[in-house]
Amino acid sequence: MIKNSIIERILQKALSNGADFSELFFEDSTSSIMQLLDSKIVKSITGNDCGAGIRVFYGHRAIYAYTNDVSEKGLLKAAEVVSKAEIDNKSLKVVNLIQTEYDSPHKIITPFSSISNNDKVAFVHLIDTASRNFSEYISQVSITYMEKVQNIMIANSEGLSAPDQRTYARVYVSSIAHKDNQMQTGSEGPGALMGYEFFKNIDPEKLGRTTAERAVKMLLADYAPSGKFPVIIGNAFGGVIFHEACGHSLETTAVAKGASVFADKLDTQIANPCITAIDDGTMPNRWGSTTIDDEGNATQRTVLIDKGILKSFMIDKLGGMKIGLPSTGSGRRQSYKFAPTSRMRNTYIDIGSDTIDDMISSVEFGLYAKKMGGGSVQPGTGDFNFSVGEGYLIEGGKITKPVRGATLIGNGKDILNKISMVSDDLKLAEGMCGSQSGNIPTCVGQPTIKVDEIVVGGRKEK
Amino acid sequence: MFEKEFQNIHDLAKIHDIIDYDVYLSKSKSFSVKIFRQDIDAYNYSDSIGLGIRVIHDGSTGYSYTEKLDNESLNTALLSAKNNARTVDYKETVVLKNYPSVNENLDIYNDELEKIPVENKIKKAKEIEKIALDSDKRIINVPHALVGDNESLFKIANSNGLDKEYATNACYGLAFCLAKDDNETKSGSSETMSRDFDDIDPIKISNEAVLKALELIGAREIDSGNYPVLFNNEMSATLLSTFWSIFSAKNVQEGQSLLRGQLGQNIAHPIVSIIDDALFSAGYNTRPFDDEGYPSQKTALISSGKLQSYLHNTMTALKDGTTSTGNASRSFKTSINISPSNLFIKPGLTSKNNLYSMFPKCVEIVQLSGMHSGCNTISGDFSMGAQGFYCENGQRSYPIHNFTVSGNFLQLLTRIVGLADDLKFKLSATGSPSILVENLSISG
Repeated sequence: MIKNSIIERILQKALSNGADFSELFFEDSTSSIMQLLDSKIVKSITGNDCGAGIRVFYGHRAIYAYTNDVSEKGLLKAAEVVSKAEIDNKSLKVVNLIQTEYDSPHKIITPFSSISNNDKVAFVHLIDTASRNFSEYISQVSITYMEKVQNIMIANSEGLSAPDQRTYARVYVSSIAHKDNQMQTGSEGPGALMGYEFFKNIDPEKLGRTTAERAVKMLLADYAPSGKFPVIIGNAFGGVIFHEACGHSLETTAVAKGASVFADKLDTQIANPCITAIDDGTMPNRWGSTTIDDEGNATQRTVLIDKGILKSFMIDKLGGMKIGLPSTGSGRRQSYKFAPTSRMRNTYIDIGSDTIDDMISSVEFGLYAKKMGGGSVQPGTGDFNFSVGEGYLIEGGKITKPVRGATLIGNGKDILNKISMVSDDLKLAEGMCGSQSGNIPTCVGQPTIKVDEIVVGGRKEK
Repeated sequence: MFEKEFQNIHDLAKIHDIIDYDVYLSKSKSFSVKIFRQDIDAYNYSDSIGLGIRVIHDGSTGYSYTEKLDNESLNTALLSAKNNARTVDYKETVVLKNYPSVNENLDIYNDELEKIPVENKIKKAKEIEKIALDSDKRIINVPHALVGDNESLFKIANSNGLDKEYATNACYGLAFCLAKDDNETKSGSSETMSRDFDDIDPIKISNEAVLKALELIGAREIDSGNYPVLFNNEMSATLLSTFWSIFSAKNVQEGQSLLRGQLGQNIAHPIVSIIDDALFSAGYNTRPFDDEGYPSQKTALISSGKLQSYLHNTMTALKDGTTSTGNASRSFKTSINISPSNLFIKPGLTSKNNLYSMFPKCVEIVQLSGMHSGCNTISGDFSMGAQGFYCENGQRSYPIHNFTVSGNFLQLLTRIVGLADDLKFKLSATGSPSILVENLSISG
């Protein structure tokens, strides 16, 4: 990519007005997106993203600049911009760069380039056909096929130099069911840190049927009731509850500013003892995994909550300096266009010992949110909300009928104490998480859990 | 600018026998500084370029993009766009013309802006935080106190002689603060965007953010039920920016909009008019032409409750037998789509205060959360977390929180019974006055 001697000159230039630390992040990525609609390939885009970001610290102050001009001249200019942001009388020298090659647990088997376009198109058509064949109510199927290879190199003034290559595969399927004036959507978006072997391991027919089945079920469902009652949240994407309600508030971005409800809660009980939560970037080939983070540190498995007690935050370099704790390898960014910050990887609630049957039979009147939709949280207050993609009414300890249009709202701090039962059917699901440092691949996950009471916004009164 | 690179593309296209294509380039520079506890918390500078190529081959369209502008990269991009066109089996008539220009002087670039020294921007951001923190002891934190600016150049050329460009710039200031009293935390935010740095007034920005957070302190819960609901101007604009895609002709044609077949029908209360105006002076998305190079215009989408037009680019217009509304949009990385320019609900003549007294009681909403998860833009259904006020006897009675507001956007349009005169634009270039909706479901 770029010669070590040039990198050292750039890092030195960035330090030249007394900065404490300088870092170069170089990226050259290729990606390809294909979309199917109306049973036709309607879009095909390939592209090349190439640029570099330079970051310096003055104490706890971070300065960031990025450019597409990756010539030595262009990078020196960007280094000059960041160096001039402040002036200090220190004169640090860049430590000699030593390249670290990490042994990656994420093996790539089949490069995308080894598969013909026709095979990729055929795969997408199989999903579409299965989805449309499921029901006459299916009026549209939208499928997005995505592949990306991100080549990066990170070097800093402390002598770190680390390259990495990340290969991503994902397919996003959305089936629309239509009846009279009503439309409902069922979606799935499986993805992995893998090459084309990921698509070979997917059953396209099953994937197409799953999204169609959910759309039709919700189309024919009645509106969900409103009010406060127990909610059982299904596994896999149900983990979005933890991601939104707690995960974001455990990132140093929120913690370091005291803008998190958990900022001063380390080693204290913040959740029901049935909760253990983990953020793990080392799981082989998972969507949210990496070999190194975007600051060049080896990725880790971080226990966030152990039996209800807060054990760790998710920490990047700058956030760690601010709160006086070492990095957990959580510095991540979408691309060279973003300065890194603490982010989630594969975040999940660990297994418990309850059964789903026991959970359902313990509820007199409530909601079974089998599949969650998306959500968001305001880290400052911990207020969250998310939608239910596939829901059922529970009456008299039994699932009675499907319901749609429900939204769950509440506060992260409160809900952790209201989770009273956790089962053992842990599963992860893939998503894109958007925050300060851009959109990055993450997994959410959990076994099925029971929340004793939560506000459900539906369209009907209880 | 970039004449050499564009000429290279034209020359390469000739060599590869590529007849129909267009080229879209965007170059942008941005700067922002964020202050926390009177120190620089983030300082970002960027200077970047991207170029997208669209090739039409045998009636199909393929795209590619590159961030490197050397000859070899441009050659690769051209060839992969052609190759992608071969993969696409959807055929579509693409019109590539040399469109005329609009005559108006839009005043969307201010030369003075780039001369503002960085120190002045840092000073303003510091003031924003300080004023907010000093204003009330319950303001415990200002997580975002930000000042920034950006400038962009857009250049479009096609194989039929079109070759035009424009530059635009703007600066902004923003405050987001947290207020705490006992065990209750509330937030408030405020932002200003302008092409004149002097318009960024730290006092106004801070005071507004502080007021918004403090007025929600002491919030109570509300009983579930159906209520008349008053959305303040910002939240009404937020709703419009969430659901604008129902107006996209592309969504209509693809069967993803509730407005399919509704042209000429009454779809909103007769007091409601919705307008998209790319020539609107001082608008955030004001521009001389859209991302196909098509000249900008003002388009009435809903006039007195009646659906008059969808938002079109030249391709959707051709299919509907009409003309483009100048709403083609793309980035160098994406395919051509449709998006609004400056989209707004036309304000009414009465003050917001008068809306409170139209019903004996109502719920006023001043904050919404969960737009991307609680709103289905295809079905129009929404269910969002909200905060606001319970109102009685023509005024705010007390703040309320921890409830959701739900309904359907199309139904909401038919139930708007009051429009205030306080039109305000969000940074999304979507604007609205405060609106009063006669009946929506609230659950607490």
